[in-house]
Amino acid sequence: MARDVNLNSLQELEREVILQVLYRDQAVQNIEEERIRKLKTHLQHLRWKGAKSVSPEYKEKSCARCQRELGLLLNRGAVCKGCSHRVCSECRVFLRKTSAWKCTVCFEDRNVKIKTGDWFFEERAKKFPAEGKHGTAGAKLLQSYQELSKISVVPPTPPPLSESQCSSSSNRLQELGQFKGFNKSVENLFLSVTTHMKKLSKSQNDMTSDKQLRATGPRQCASRTERRSQSDTAINVTTRASMPDILKPLNQESPKRLTSPVLKQEDLSSKPTPSALFSGGLRHASLISINSTCTEMGNFDNANVTGEIEFALRYCFQTCSLEICIKACKNLAYGEEKKKKCNPYVKTYLLPDRSSQGKRKTGVQKNTVDPTFQETLKYQVEPSQLGTRWLQVSVWHLGTLTRRVFLGEVTIPLATWDFEDSTTQCFCWYPLRAKAEKLEDSILPSNGELAVRAKLVFPAGPRKLQEAQEAFLPGTDRPSPNGQLCFVVLGAKNLPVRSDGTLNSFVKGCLTLPDQHKLKLKSPVAKKQACPQWKHSFVFNGVSPSQLRQSSLELTVWDQAIFGVNDRLLGEARLGSKEDGAAGEDSGSPSERQWQKVLSSPNLWTDMTLILH
Amino acid sequence: MASATDSRYGQKESSDQNFDYMFKILIIGNSSVGKTSFLFRYADDSFTPAFVSTVGIDFKVKTIYRNDKRIKLQIWDTAGQERYRTITTAYYRGAMGFILMYDITNEESFNAVQDWSTQIKTYSWDNAQVLLVGNKCDMEDERVVSSERGRQLADHLGFEFFEASAKDNINVKQTFERLVDVICEKMSESLDTADPAVTGAKQGPQLTDQQAPPHQDCAC
Repeated sequence: MARDVNLNSLQELEREVILQVLYRDQAVQNIEEERIRKLKTHLQHLRWKGAKSVSPEYKEKSCARCQRELGLLLNRGAVCKGCSHRVCSECRVFLRKTSAWKCTVCFEDRNVKIKTGDWFFEERAKKFPAEGKHGTAGAKLLQSYQELSKISVVPPTPPPLSESQCSSSSNRLQELGQFKGFNKSVENLFLSVTTHMKKLSKSQNDMTSDKQLRATGPRQCASRTERRSQSDTAINVTTRASMPDILKPLNQESPKRLTSPVLKQEDLSSKPTPSALFSGGLRHASLISINSTCTEMGNFDNANVTGEIEFALRYCFQTCSLEICIKACKNLAYGEEKKKKCNPYVKTYLLPDRSSQGKRKTGVQKNTVDPTFQETLKYQVEPSQLGTRWLQVSVWHLGTLTRRVFLGEVTIPLATWDFEDSTTQCFCWYPLRAKAEKLEDSILPSNGELAVRAKLVFPAGPRKLQEAQEAFLPGTDRPSPNGQLCFVVLGAKNLPVRSDGTLNSFVKGCLTLPDQHKLKLKSPVAKKQACPQWKHSFVFNGVSPSQLRQSSLELTVWDQAIFGVNDRLLGEARLGSKEDGAAGEDSGSPSERQWQKVLSSPNLWTDMTLILH
Repeated sequence: MASATDSRYGQKESSDQNFDYMFKILIIGNSSVGKTSFLFRYADDSFTPAFVSTVGIDFKVKTIYRNDKRIKLQIWDTAGQERYRTITTAYYRGAMGFILMYDITNEESFNAVQDWSTQIKTYSWDNAQVLLVGNKCDMEDERVVSSERGRQLADHLGFEFFEASAKDNINVKQTFERLVDVICEKMSESLDTADPAVTGAKQGPQLTDQQAPPHQDCAC
């Protein structure tokens, strides 16, 4: 067959064919999700309609569904076996050919489980607890392809309306997240799929890499690695089980959990309606938001930033919800200057969280540079978290093709915001600004602190201490390759945590020797801790003191993703690199002095606190 | 080469939201046993004798009316070739039911059934419904796998068994409909036994089909 003649073109063809299928599947999935969303909304309405007040006088006397009064002798009602509520005879649905019945809500609940396929996902979760409900194989393949190719070949998904709901799958994911066992085969499978896709797309990458570079421009190339890791996180977070973290506070009051006893749900739903439920702006989709992948990668156009945005900020301490009421913008720049076109929408993040979970968007206003949004974007944030966050409000133009155009942004440090003062809750106009060159450096001073302890060990022990010390004296570069650098990573604090205030963090240590040889070590993961205490020791063997003086040690702190492939970088600290020595200034920093102390006093522990950047 | 995954078919149906629920079905089996033909016969009622190897994966959508319900089937056709195995196995997890196919004129494809079954056990959920299908039963002259052997293997593996022909349209529709039925049965079972706290007490066999009684709303 032709395969042997032209392997390259065949692979390209294969990839194209498979992509076609994946996109078709994507379309089917989108429709399916929309259908499921409608079904669940319907069920929710039914629940609310019958939501019973908790006050005791209602308890036995009225039907839990229609609230009709029940008599003492006649029409006394009966208890539904599903939800244990007393319902009148009208609100019962008899199951086919039996005398068994369920109340209307329980019946509908069952129906919805059938119609949405939830029954299957529940069954499947017994075997694959780590599997997200919406993460179809196709979505994963597509995602891995898009990650690899870094070209947005798909038409952009318009930003979802802010009025959307948190899918119950997030609840499921939270449940699943509680399963201790992590299914290794899931990871392996996923990795192998990714690798396979990599192979398939590789030929294409090779052939079009030039084109890509031209298309993406030099700016992006320069910072590709760094940006890539961010976007990876964003993708990763959407589809993996790290999902529940941002939703935790929300879930606790969400009445949507289908699997929990209905009784409990109704008690909850009779509370003041959890406002976050329908306006939280967290739209769950099995597909990654390609937009934000692009924009976070720096793959967007810039307009000359003009204009202002009007919004108000409120924080409700009771429900822990931060509300950003986006009212309007004026004098925006045209997204497409030549065509005088502008379809603006507003996007927010609570920095430093740039994951797609932390993203909220308004709807898109068409053909206007003075849009009125009147939309409220909400976040569930613990009060303790507010002080560590920056609210970033950015305005974007949704173009007809894949490109977004950046129209300006405002960044507000929430640490200094007085949420109790009512004057700060009023609407206010803020001038839009261009993107800060390097946001992390200019605004975010640090990403936390890392406490470590280090010492140099020589195998000969105290007897040779003298000799070892000599090795450090300038000009006595005797090689003693049996040295050992012991490093204990104690813990970290003030890390940029997820919005629920936790992290699954771990530390990677990379010692770069003068010959550019790298020694890498990794700590275990500290689960669900905002201030992780690893107390893990890294031991770098076979390093001589003279080597160490010219080496650099890079410590990075990561937040682990469920699948372990796209962990989020929280911060890094570097010790003793040659560049620092040359710069001179840094050698005066406290950590640098401490590092020098480690090097000059072998066999003694030195405690250090490193600032993470 | 790409014609096997021509996307024109099924487009209209796939955008239709007018159905009660959706099942995902996977067709697996050795290369050239006739998986794609089987699917084309079912979804489009067409048959092409030429062999075109499927690239990776493909699917078709068909909405059927069964037990008073409109059921949308997303039927995934997989490549039998080993080189696509990583991609195809990734789809096992989303499938509620499987059609495991061999070719009655090909001993090797029959011998591989055990391996395919193991793949299902490994990658799919525990209640995966599987139908074993011996395809090409129109080619009686070239038959090397007797019906009896097929049936015995199916019994051994706990699958239901059909012999079918995509070419002569024998048992194609029946296979899919039977699979839909067994998935429905499994669905009732899981809803009515797994979670009595929510779905009520165990209801017994009366509930095995999904016909809902006319909806009775509250009088309020």
